[in-house]
This record gives sequence, C-alpha cells and structure tokens, in this order.
Amino acid sequence: MPLALPGFESIRRTWSNTYGTYAARLFPGEYYVTTNDECVFTTLGSCISACIRDRVSGVGGMNHFMLPTSTDDRRSTWVQLSAGNRYGNFAMEHLINSILKNGGQRQNLEVKLFGGGRILKNMLDVGMRNITFAREYIQTEGLKVTAEDMGETFPRMVVYFPATGVVRVRRLRSLHNNTIAAEEIRYISTVESKPVDGDIELF
Amino acid sequence: METNDKITGLVQGVSGLVTLPDVFIRINQVIDDPDSNTDDIVQAVRRDPSFTVRLLQVANSPFYGFPSTIDTAAKAVSVIGTSQIRNLALSMSVAHTFAGLPNNLVSMDNFWHHSLYCALAARALARQASKCEPEAVFTAGLLHDIGELIIFNRLPEQAKESLLLVLDHMDVLPVYQAERQIISFDHAQVGGELARHWNLPPLLVECIACHHAIAEAQRYPREAALVHLANILAQMAEIDTLEPGDVPPIDPLTWEITGLGQDIIEPVVRQIQEEIAEAEKLFLGN
Repeated sequence: MPLALPGFESIRRTWSNTYGTYAARLFPGEYYVTTNDECVFTTLGSCISACIRDRVSGVGGMNHFMLPTSTDDRRSTWVQLSAGNRYGNFAMEHLINSILKNGGQRQNLEVKLFGGGRILKNMLDVGMRNITFAREYIQTEGLKVTAEDMGETFPRMVVYFPATGVVRVRRLRSLHNNTIAAEEIRYISTVESKPVDGDIELF
Repeated sequence: METNDKITGLVQGVSGLVTLPDVFIRINQVIDDPDSNTDDIVQAVRRDPSFTVRLLQVANSPFYGFPSTIDTAAKAVSVIGTSQIRNLALSMSVAHTFAGLPNNLVSMDNFWHHSLYCALAARALARQASKCEPEAVFTAGLLHDIGELIIFNRLPEQAKESLLLVLDHMDVLPVYQAERQIISFDHAQVGGELARHWNLPPLLVECIACHHAIAEAQRYPREAALVHLANILAQMAEIDTLEPGDVPPIDPLTWEITGLGQDIIEPVVRQIQEEIAEAEKLFLGN
C-alpha cells in the first residue's frame, strides 16, 4: 500500500478490485489528500463532498462535511448561519490547505462538488443549505467548479481519483437512505456538541 | 444449525406477526377446491365489503383500462379472471400485511415504492414476453423482497452490517451477497421460505426465492427471470438512470430464458415511471 501523507494515516484504505487501486474510505467529518495513484470514496446523503486537485501536479483529495442544523432559537438567524458556516469553512480550508502544503498551486485547483440530497422525508432541506454554502464558498475563493451533481432525493456514492480528476458518482437506491442518514446524524451530533476554534492556518 | 433450519426458524418466528388477510385465504381455498365455481369466488370476495370496494376501484382504474364499467363483484371476477383475483387480493393487502414487521433500516414507504416499481416492471415485461401471466408476475414483483423485511426486523444488527458492507464495497457488492457473507443466507431465501410457509402458489414461491439466482428456478424460470430483470429496471427507475453501470448487473441468462432484448430496458423504465403515482394510490393507499 502506498504511504499516506502525514496526518492521513488513520484513514482506512483497502484494495479495490473494481478499480484496481487502493481506495480510502471517508466518513462524515473526515478528509483525505493524496499524491498517490489511488482513489478516495464516500457515501453522501445531505452532506457535501468537495473533490479538489491540482490539475497539473495531480495532488488532491476529498472532504465530507455538513453544516450543523442547530434550531436553538435563543440565537438570531445570522449568528446560527455564521456559526454553521464555520464548520463548512473549516472542512474546505483543511482540504485546500493540505493540497497546497503538499505541492498544489492555488491557480491550478479544479473543484467538483457532490451530495446535498434530500434523503429523508419530513425533514428540513439541510442538503440545500449545504449546497448553497459550498457554491458560495467556491465563488468567494475565486475557484472554479468543473463538475457537480448535487441535490435531488438520492444518496450518492462518490469515487474520486485525484491523480486524473476522474469521478464516478453512483446514485444509491433508497434501501441505503437510513443507514447513510444515521451516519450523518451521528456526525452532526458530535459537531454540534463541540465548539469550533478559529484556528485555521491560511496559506 | 443448518442454514435451512435457520431460515425456517426465522420465518416461524414472524408467523404470528404477519398473517395473510382472510379474504385472500378464502379466495385461495375456493380456487384450489376442484368442486368450486365462479359464484363461490364471488361470494368469497363479497364477504369482505371493504376489499370489494377497493377491488372495484382498481378494476375501474386506468391501470387496468377495461373498456366497460365494473360495478359488481361478479363482474369484477368475470372480467379480471379467477386466478388474477387471487393475485390482486394478495397485491392489495401486502403493504398492510407487513406493517407488523417494522424496522429501522428502510422506511416502509421506500420499501414498497421499490417493490411496486418492480411489480410494474414485471407486468410490463410479461406483456412483451410471451407465455407469461402479467398479473401473476406483478404480484411476484411486489413480493420479491419480503424476506428483507423479516431479516431487517429479526436480525437488525446483521442486516445493518450487511448494508454497511455493501457501502464499504462501493455499492458494487450486491446486498444479497453481503447477506450471505454476514448472515449465511439471503433475503430471497427467507422470502421464498415465507411464501412456502404461507402455501402461496409455486410461481410466487419460485420468483421470490430465485430473483437473484434465476438458474436455480425449476418450474418457472421465465417468470423468475422477469422478476430478476424487473428488480433491476425498478432500481433504474428509482434513481432515474438508463446506465447499466449504475445498477446491479443483469444475469445474461435472462435474455436467453425470456427471449427479450436489451432494447426493452428504456421503454419499460419510462413506462413504469409514468405508472408509479397511480399504482401507489391503488396499492399502497389506505
């Protein structure tokens, strides 16, 4: 198995017969950056994955995040939104900074966005909030989205090859909705219970 | 314990939780009785007034498209046909029947949505393939995954582990193979056993038991192959794709057994996407 970059040793990787490469499996809240010829994959319900790479050097990776959905009405809406956005900013900046730290150039970055599905009925459309955040973030950073598949009512399986930029998206049947939603709910409850510190190193 | 004993035990464990509706059992008995006639079937239908009302709704819906109005149980039985009435009685009550087996892994809405898509696809395919009864495979399609509800209810941890294994394999590993790895048997085997336990017609038993293993079908390979194909077309309709790579592979035997060609895929997927809303009202409504 090729060596993982420092900081990504804990991400689980297994050999994929389907793709003939090692495959890193991301869970909600994680991200993974690689310079190897390997893929990174995840399943998305209402969460977003940004797939970002340097199209010249091939260093790139994926994150998997969502904004917390606090319904705490003691705080005003804008405070909630900006607090929520911090988690999104965190996930995006971690991924981008790690790519830059490993040889990526900002002007070479290409971005692909996936997820934000509405997989549970009778729930707020948290997917749409995540989509809006992701689009605005990329625009604000002056980056370019070269492909996306977001929204609608399906969970997705996203397989990304940072070295080539190839992405395979499979929409998943509704049989998987609850399993994926449970994973996301577990993640979001851990996010909501711990405050974000503002400690992001900027490049 | 032998795998077969485990499956039998699992099915016996739910026999108190899911029971076939009386109206189906009565119709079934009458049809299987060589001394009975059409009037006896009409009587069996009439004994359940609410079933009669729903039967007339279905019979008069554009779903069947009979040219004249069907306003009595007698007319419904003569127009729809005795064996189809039995299938219809089962189809119309199946969602209610399995409400006694709740689970946390799939919502009943999503489960029956997929099953109904499969039923519609099986019916559409049977109309194209010769020598198949469309209404019989419709019911088979509706019931094809009932074993899943038993596994999800009785073995929730192992069922969850199976679904996670599928996702860990990038959705390339089929659910039934994950179940065989984790549980040692799959939902098709469990569903087939329930159908046998209920003395359902052999066609239904075999379609349910063999929808992932059509080479094992002995008496009804054509029908089993249609349900196998219908299950995959249902998934295409559900995630709105025509790409074969987005769904599990179709067993190549399917084409050989049914005489159908791959050009059938797109029109059937489109057709069932148009039919699903009306069918949900008829079969899954209260």
